Amino acid sequence: MIGIVRFPGTNCDRDVAQWVHEQGDSYKFLWHLDRVADLSSFDALILPGGFSYGDYLRSGALAARSPVMASVREYAERGGAVLGICNGFQVLVESHLLPGALVRNENLRFIDDWVELETVSERGPWGENLAASPPTLRLPIAHGEGRFYASDSELNRLEERQQVWLRYVDNPNGSRNNIAGVLNEKGNVAGLMPHPERAIFSWMGSQDGRRFFARGGTKSHAGRG
Amino acid sequence: MAGAFLPVAAPNPTLEEDDMKEKLKHYRISEAEYERIGQLLGRAPAGVEWALFSALWSEHCSYKSSKVHLKKFASTLTPSVASAAGENAGIVDLGQGERVVFKMESHNHPSFIEPTQGAATGVGGILRDIFTMGARPIASADFLCFGETKADRMPQLVDGVVRGISGYGNAVGVPTVTGKTQFDPTYNRNILVNAMSVGLLLPEDPVALSAARGPGNDVVYVGAKTGKDGVHGAAMASESFAEDTEAKKPNVQIGDPFFEKLLIESCLEVIGKKLVVAIQDMGAAGLTSSSFEMAAKGGLGFELHLDRVPLRDLSMGPEEILLSESQERMLLVCEPAHFSELAEVFSRWGLDAVRIGKVRSAREMQIFWHGEKLAELDPALIVDQAPVYERPHGEWKSPRLRRADFSSARGARADAPPSTSAPTPSALEATALQPTALQPIMEQRLKSAAWGSRESIYRQYDQRVGGMTAAGCDHQIAVLRLPRSHRGLLLATGGRCSWLKRDVVVGALDAVLFPSLQMAVKGGYPVGATDCLNFGNPERPEIMTEFVASVEAIRDVCMALRIPVVSGNVSFYNETLGEGVTSTPAIGLLGLLPQVGCVGGEAATGENQPGDFFQREKSKLFLVELPWVEEENKLEWRLMSLAAAQTKSILSGIATQLAAIQHLVMTNQILSSQLIGEGGLAWGLAGFTKSGIGFRLERSTRDLVKDSLYQMVFEVDSRRQPDFSKLRALGLKVSEIGHTQANLIEAADWRMKVEEFWNQRRATMTELIH
Repeated sequence: MIGIVRFPGTNCDRDVAQWVHEQGDSYKFLWHLDRVADLSSFDALILPGGFSYGDYLRSGALAARSPVMASVREYAERGGAVLGICNGFQVLVESHLLPGALVRNENLRFIDDWVELETVSERGPWGENLAASPPTLRLPIAHGEGRFYASDSELNRLEERQQVWLRYVDNPNGSRNNIAGVLNEKGNVAGLMPHPERAIFSWMGSQDGRRFFARGGTKSHAGRG
Repeated sequence: MAGAFLPVAAPNPTLEEDDMKEKLKHYRISEAEYERIGQLLGRAPAGVEWALFSALWSEHCSYKSSKVHLKKFASTLTPSVASAAGENAGIVDLGQGERVVFKMESHNHPSFIEPTQGAATGVGGILRDIFTMGARPIASADFLCFGETKADRMPQLVDGVVRGISGYGNAVGVPTVTGKTQFDPTYNRNILVNAMSVGLLLPEDPVALSAARGPGNDVVYVGAKTGKDGVHGAAMASESFAEDTEAKKPNVQIGDPFFEKLLIESCLEVIGKKLVVAIQDMGAAGLTSSSFEMAAKGGLGFELHLDRVPLRDLSMGPEEILLSESQERMLLVCEPAHFSELAEVFSRWGLDAVRIGKVRSAREMQIFWHGEKLAELDPALIVDQAPVYERPHGEWKSPRLRRADFSSARGARADAPPSTSAPTPSALEATALQPTALQPIMEQRLKSAAWGSRESIYRQYDQRVGGMTAAGCDHQIAVLRLPRSHRGLLLATGGRCSWLKRDVVVGALDAVLFPSLQMAVKGGYPVGATDCLNFGNPERPEIMTEFVASVEAIRDVCMALRIPVVSGNVSFYNETLGEGVTSTPAIGLLGLLPQVGCVGGEAATGENQPGDFFQREKSKLFLVELPWVEEENKLEWRLMSLAAAQTKSILSGIATQLAAIQHLVMTNQILSSQLIGEGGLAWGLAGFTKSGIGFRLERSTRDLVKDSLYQMVFEVDSRRQPDFSKLRALGLKVSEIGHTQANLIEAADWRMKVEEFWNQRRATMTELIH
C-alpha cells in the first residue's frame, strides 16, 4: 500500500495513483490536514506534483508546514521510503527532509520538455530500483522552479556522500551540478523534478517511469520504519 | 428625440434629456432598446434595473446580433449529441459511456488591455463552462492571432498572453495540448485570444445542468469573494476600442488558478454525490447573468439577498455586486436538506458556500439589499426577451470571382466554373513570373517570426499533466488516450488567416476541413466541433455579410462531414479606430482514433499509427493531392467552385475522400504523415525533419512553394507499396515525389542541414520570446 499525499493545489495525484496502480500496487490518499500517528502500514509515501496552496509564497513552503508533513517526517525518520516528485520534491526540500533549494529556472520561464537523465547514486530503496541497466532514462519535466541550488560546500558534501541521485544529461534549467534528483543521507527519502508517472506507457513517449518501482512492487525494498 | 422616451416614474422624475442621454451612454443601452425595456416593463426602468438590462442585453451576453444566424448550426446536430441545448457547453457521446464536453471562447478585448490576466482569465472562464456540467477538464487548446512582431506592444502582448495561459493552465493541472499561433498585420491593434477546453464524463458521471428547479431550494454562492474587478466587463467587451486602452484596465478581471483548482475538485465532488440541483459559473456579467439565466431556464424566480454575498471590498454597493466579474465563483441550487453536506465538501476544500437566496415558484426575481427590495421582475423579460437583431447584410461574393471579370458576380455564382476550369488569363500571365529559385524564399522565411518555430511558446505549457497525453503541441494534432476505452481523443484547431484574407468562405470551410484532414492522415475522424467567431463591428453590413457567409459555410461543411457544432462563442467589435480585423472564424475540432499506439517520432511500433516526423532513412515519400484551391501567385488563385453554387455536392465529395484517406492510413503501414500547411510542399516536408532525418525531392520551384487545398505527404517503407487505387478512383492525385535521407534537406536548389533549419527557425522566435 502506497500513501499519496494531497495538498490543496496538488494536481498530479491522480496521475501518481495511475502509476502506482499500473505497478500492481494499491494506494490511499492522505489529506494535508491529516495528522496520522502511525503510517507504518504504508510501504512508501509519495508526494505528487502540482501547486500546493497555489505556491504563492515559495514553492512548497506552506505545504511543508501542514499537519500531514509532521506525520511524513516521523515516517521518514523511522526509515520509511518517501518520494517527492516536482512540487513534492520542493515540499521535501522546504521541510528539510532533503538538502538544497529549488529556485526559478534560469530562463525565468516554465519549461515543459523531455529530458535524458543519468542515474548517479544507487543508495536506498529508490536508488536500488533504478540501479538496473541501462544507466540513462528519459522522462518529461514540467516546472517553473526546478533549478537545484546548494552552496559549494553543500554540493561537495552531497557529491561525497552520494546523495546526488539523478543528473540531467543536457541541463534544461540551470541546476547546479546538473542535479535533477537528490537523496537524504540515509537514502530513504528521494526527490526529483522530472515526472516518472508521465512515462509509463509507450504511447506516452517513454516507459522509463516504470523503473522506479522494483520488480514485484516497492515492497521488497521500501522499509517499514 | 424626447418623444422616444417613456415617462420616467423613478428615481428622478425631472431627469433631463441630456442626463438621459448620459445614462443611456453609461449603460450602453440604445434608444430603441430603452423603448423596448419600457414596453416590457410597462414603465421606465429604475434603480438596479438599468444595470441588469445593460449587462444581459450586451452583445456579449445576449448574442443579439448573431442569434438569428447561429440557429443555423442546429442542422449539424447528430444523434451523438447528448441534449444540452442552451447549456454552458455541448456534449458529444463517444459511445462506451464516454462523453466529451467542450467549448471555445474568446478573451480578445481583455487580453489586448492586459495580456497576462486577460489570457489567464480566458482559460479560467472556459474551464468553468466545462466543469460546471460535471465533466473533469482534461485538455485545453489555444487559438492565438498576433500582429506583426514590430507592431506597437506586440512582443509584450505575445509574451504576456503566453505567460497568462501557462501560469493559469499549468497551475490548475489541465494540460494545454495543442493550438495555433498566427502573426499577421491585421491583428496589429486587435489580437485574438481564443481558449478551448475539453472535459470528460465517464460512464458513472452525472451531467449537471443550469436550469433552476424546486421552489424553496437554496440558492448558494460558492468560491472566491466578490470584488470590484470586471464591473461592466461584458458591456466593455461589446465595444470597439478607441485609442486609450489603458483607461479600460479596471474592467479587466484578475484570475487565481489555485481557487479554480479548488473549485474544480469541490464542484465535481458535490455533483458526483448528486447534491446539486442546478449549477452555473458566474462568467460575463457575474451574478446577474448566472442567477437570471438559471431562473429563466427553470421558468422560476429567485429571492436574492445581495448583502449576503461574500465581499472582498466592503464598500461595494448592490449594482457593483450584481455586475462584478470577479473570477472563480459559481452559483448553485441545492435542496435545503443537502446544504450542510454540500457546505462540508466545500469547507474541506477551503471554500465558503453561502446561502444568498431561495428559489421561488413565481417567475419573479426579487433582489434585496439589507431587507429593502431593489427590484422585482420576470427574469424572462431580461433573458428571453433580449433584443434580437437581423443586422443588415448583403449576399456574399467571392473576391476571386469578383476579380475574374465575369459579366456579373451573381451570374458567376450560378455558373461557377467546374472543378476542371482552366486558370484565368491573368493567372497564366502570373505563372510566367513564378520564382525559379527556392533557396532565397526559404532563407527569407527562416528570418521571419511568422514562420518561426512555436516551441518557445508551447514549451511553457504543461502538456502532460493528467497522464492522458499521447501527442502534445509538438505534433500537428493532439492525441489523448481515453482512460476506459483506450481510444484516442483527437484535438485540433482550425482557422488560417492567410486563407481567410483571400476569401472568408474558403477560409471558413478550411477552418473545418484542415483539422479534419489532419485527423484523417492519422487514421482518425472528427466527432464534434465548437466555434469561436471573431469579427469586427456587426453594425457594418460588409462585416455582417462575411459573418453570415462564414456561419453558413461552417454549417455546410459540418453537415457534409457529419460533424455536429455543439457549442460556440461570438466575438464582435474586434476593431480599433474603425479598423476591424480580418474576419476570423476559429474552429475547435474533436475526433476519435480507434486505438492509441505509439504516436510521434519516438518509436515505430508497427501499429498503424503514423508519426509526424520522418521515421527512417530511404523511405519513399508519396504526395496525395485534393485539387480544390491552388495558389497561382500572390494575387490570384484557382478556386475550384468551393465557394460557389455546387458547394454542397463538392463537400460531400470531400467527405468521401476524407473517409478514403482515413481508411488508407488504417490499412497500410504509414511511417509518418502530415497535411501540408502554409508555405507549400518544400516547407511542409522540412517540418517532418524534426527527427533529424532529411529528404530529397525533385520538383519545380513553383510546385514546391504553391499553397493549395490540400496536399498531404505519407512516408512509406521502401519495400512497401500502399494501395492508392481507391484514392485515385475518387479523383485524388497520387505521386511518388522523393525519399528520406540522412540529415540533409534537398529540394530543387534548396540545400540545408536539418539541424541548421531547426536552429534558424528556433532562433527567429527566440528573439521574440526568449
